[in-house]
Amino acid sequence: MIKVTGLEDAAVVIADAMANQQHLNVQSMATKSALGRDVSYDSYLDVSAFTGIKDYQPDELILTVRAGTPMHEVEAELACANQMLAFEAPDLHKLLGTQSAGTIGGVLATNASGPRRLTAGAARDYLLGFDAISGRGERFKSGGKVMKNVTGYDLSKLICGSYGTLAVFDEVTFKTLPRPETNISLLFGCEDMTLAVAKIASVFASPHEPNAAAILPGSMAASAGVDVPGAMVVIIRLEGIDVSVSDRALHLLAADPSGAKINENSSSALWQRIRDVELLVNQPGDVWKLSCAPAAAPNIIAAVQDQFDITFFADWAGGLLWLAGPSGASFGKALRAALADNGSGYAQLVRDQADTKTVITPFQPLSSAHYALHKRVKAAFDPLSVLNLGRMHDGI
Amino acid sequence: MQMPKPDQSVIERRDTICRDLRNLIADHCVVDSVEGRRAYDADGLSAYRQLPLAVVLPETVEEIAAVMKYCHREGIKVVPRGSGTSLSGGALPLADAILLGLGKFNRILDIDYVNRCVVAQPGVTNLAITHAVQADGFYYAPDPSSQIACSVGGNVAENSGGVHCLKYGLTTNNLLGIELVTIEGEILRLGGKHLDAGDYDLMGVMTGSEGLLGVVSEVTLRILQKPATQRALLVGFDDTGSAAEAVGDVIAAGIIPAGMEMMDGLAINAAEDFANAGYPRGAAALLIIELDGPEIEVNTLIDRVTKVMDSAGASSLKVSNSEEERNLFWAGRKSAFPAVGRISPDYLCMDGTIPRRRLPDMMVRMASLSQKYGLRVANVFHAGDGNLHPLILFDANETGELQRAEDFGADILRACVEMGGVLTGEHGVGVEKRDLMNIQFTEDDLKQQQRLKCAFDADHLLNPGKVFPHLHRCAELGRLHVHRGKMPFPDLPRF
Repeated sequence: MIKVTGLEDAAVVIADAMANQQHLNVQSMATKSALGRDVSYDSYLDVSAFTGIKDYQPDELILTVRAGTPMHEVEAELACANQMLAFEAPDLHKLLGTQSAGTIGGVLATNASGPRRLTAGAARDYLLGFDAISGRGERFKSGGKVMKNVTGYDLSKLICGSYGTLAVFDEVTFKTLPRPETNISLLFGCEDMTLAVAKIASVFASPHEPNAAAILPGSMAASAGVDVPGAMVVIIRLEGIDVSVSDRALHLLAADPSGAKINENSSSALWQRIRDVELLVNQPGDVWKLSCAPAAAPNIIAAVQDQFDITFFADWAGGLLWLAGPSGASFGKALRAALADNGSGYAQLVRDQADTKTVITPFQPLSSAHYALHKRVKAAFDPLSVLNLGRMHDGI
Repeated sequence: MQMPKPDQSVIERRDTICRDLRNLIADHCVVDSVEGRRAYDADGLSAYRQLPLAVVLPETVEEIAAVMKYCHREGIKVVPRGSGTSLSGGALPLADAILLGLGKFNRILDIDYVNRCVVAQPGVTNLAITHAVQADGFYYAPDPSSQIACSVGGNVAENSGGVHCLKYGLTTNNLLGIELVTIEGEILRLGGKHLDAGDYDLMGVMTGSEGLLGVVSEVTLRILQKPATQRALLVGFDDTGSAAEAVGDVIAAGIIPAGMEMMDGLAINAAEDFANAGYPRGAAALLIIELDGPEIEVNTLIDRVTKVMDSAGASSLKVSNSEEERNLFWAGRKSAFPAVGRISPDYLCMDGTIPRRRLPDMMVRMASLSQKYGLRVANVFHAGDGNLHPLILFDANETGELQRAEDFGADILRACVEMGGVLTGEHGVGVEKRDLMNIQFTEDDLKQQQRLKCAFDADHLLNPGKVFPHLHRCAELGRLHVHRGKMPFPDLPRF
């Protein structure tokens, strides 16, 4: 374990690893180390000392923070100015059995985004700039500390979701947004997934600005304290100023009087459980997440339900499926097959209960052409594979 | 502006190259006459002109792939072009490069309301996407001023914005998927109708890459339901500092308007002369603030913004009470460029971004630069996000004025970087700002960016001479300095 305090130190350690042909695992609080492939490394590069808020200008909507800063500190700072990171990063510590939500750097490295991702974008949409050390041991920066910027390649996008395989970053700059004044949720019971997806589509075809939409099986909804008749329950969140939220709810309930409304406290609590995948924590087996076209969700669910005993729910209007099912390769294979039969997307193993990773790759496999390009991109930043080699894909 | 020295051996092979291209794609899709090529000799940055080696206008993605594969094999450069509306010279031809025009890719392939997206070919215009879905209440959010003409493929290449991107984001935030043809002629799909891809975000990197990494042959765009109501405020100020502060006050009050635009005195009067929009002549600064959403929300926020403006010291304030009036408020702003064109024989439109709080400093700096260069400058800003569009007025017929105007512009962009901002907010680097890149970036920053380029295009065949001031060979960029077996800094703690 080599603990560094800044990018200068990190550069030295990386240069050293290059010289000695070593592979390093970059980590801070290690709350997301369960994500990705199991790989053994020669040493750890510990960046947990990269902490602190460097600059926060609420009226500029700009926050610069060091990547090892714990998420709860970032969120507390933003809350003081009534702001937020709009992509609503999930806190998966209960699902993964770790101590906390981890750091802002971990959120970026995994591009972790929650329910508001549907309408407000992902972590990658809010990272404006960063400075980093590449796997070449060279310092570089990208982007800036302003909201609008098309100067050079948008490396912020690339670094988000790269699981630390390209560079070690320190200062990161985000676009922040004001917190909505209030939120409520509407609940609609539906007979099946197809009708649930159609119900959400009809709400999104109205001008009433829903901002998140999830689908829970009736029994799961009941256990989460939401008792609405129907095999599936559609949950629509409305956010904004009080008069607007009430007015929009009124219109949506007038259009479909079968719906029910829950107030701010219940709504916030319910969405936090959806965001953090708490609804699957006590389910046995592995947990996978699957990103697909919303309209493909019913077919995918039907296909895997035919073969396995699963528990699932959907976020992102059906475009994000969280599924608990049996450990082993066959469940993941079936998910990927169902995905391939129903358009495009990806399936990732998130919670591995029984060494499933040894029999199926946790990340969606790449086509040979995509793999070759990924490999060249990796080499452009980390030619000797010093950083997190193999965390996402073999050889990358 | 110095472009890379053309490769004479390629120019000498022009006839053979055109013949080869005609064997790959239909005869009428290869334009090699001087008159035919002339139509493509410039983009929106029309101060720079160059006849391309040949113009190729493929009709299918397989044809694009065949042309790319051929060019890759033969070492021929390729300049991709959508509608040619780039303001930074992104589609400026090169004498030894074929110009690959995507204009024939003009079909919308799929309108999918359940998944809320549109799949389109790259030559479809930005506005055509909205036109295709507006009858059903949807629209496509990014709205660059050139939206009537600019192509969605070009929008991806430049990561185009617009007046509403403060609330709705740029192209990159509204793009779900692309199909891409690499320089090797490989066809790859990135993203799709799903939201997250789970691998390296190469689509994010392609967006705004100015045609240097690949050719976009299809796009999947997110569409949104049109807001129920839109209303705008027109607010005058006696000094630009108060106007800039008022913009920050709105955001500090937790309000993100759909658009927040600012104009200075010269721009206000030019626009008012042109459009009769009811702008307050004599004001030093004007804000146009648009709010959209459910009617009750918009009305509430109009009241809140009005209070913010009053406390910020607004000298005049009008609220639109009809669509007609709202459109009139915008008419002046939207015609600001032609309006300025009327008061000066020529103008140079700049594009940079600064932290918004530095706006008053920037106004002072521009006034002094204006004096130094003896040229007037009119200002329109996307104030919400600090994106400046200074219009430098000059007369190209006066010897040396173009050069003076360009020097003035470069000084403004230097000031942007010095104040913590960036060289370009939404127009791209192209050739226009290429030589200023090292003001914002170190040599190492730029080398890292070019290494990424090497992953896509190792021979620098795609759009060379754009974005980067110095072209380094990929072999040189890939070189490593490893001190084998030597332990640097032995005093560093190792556990």
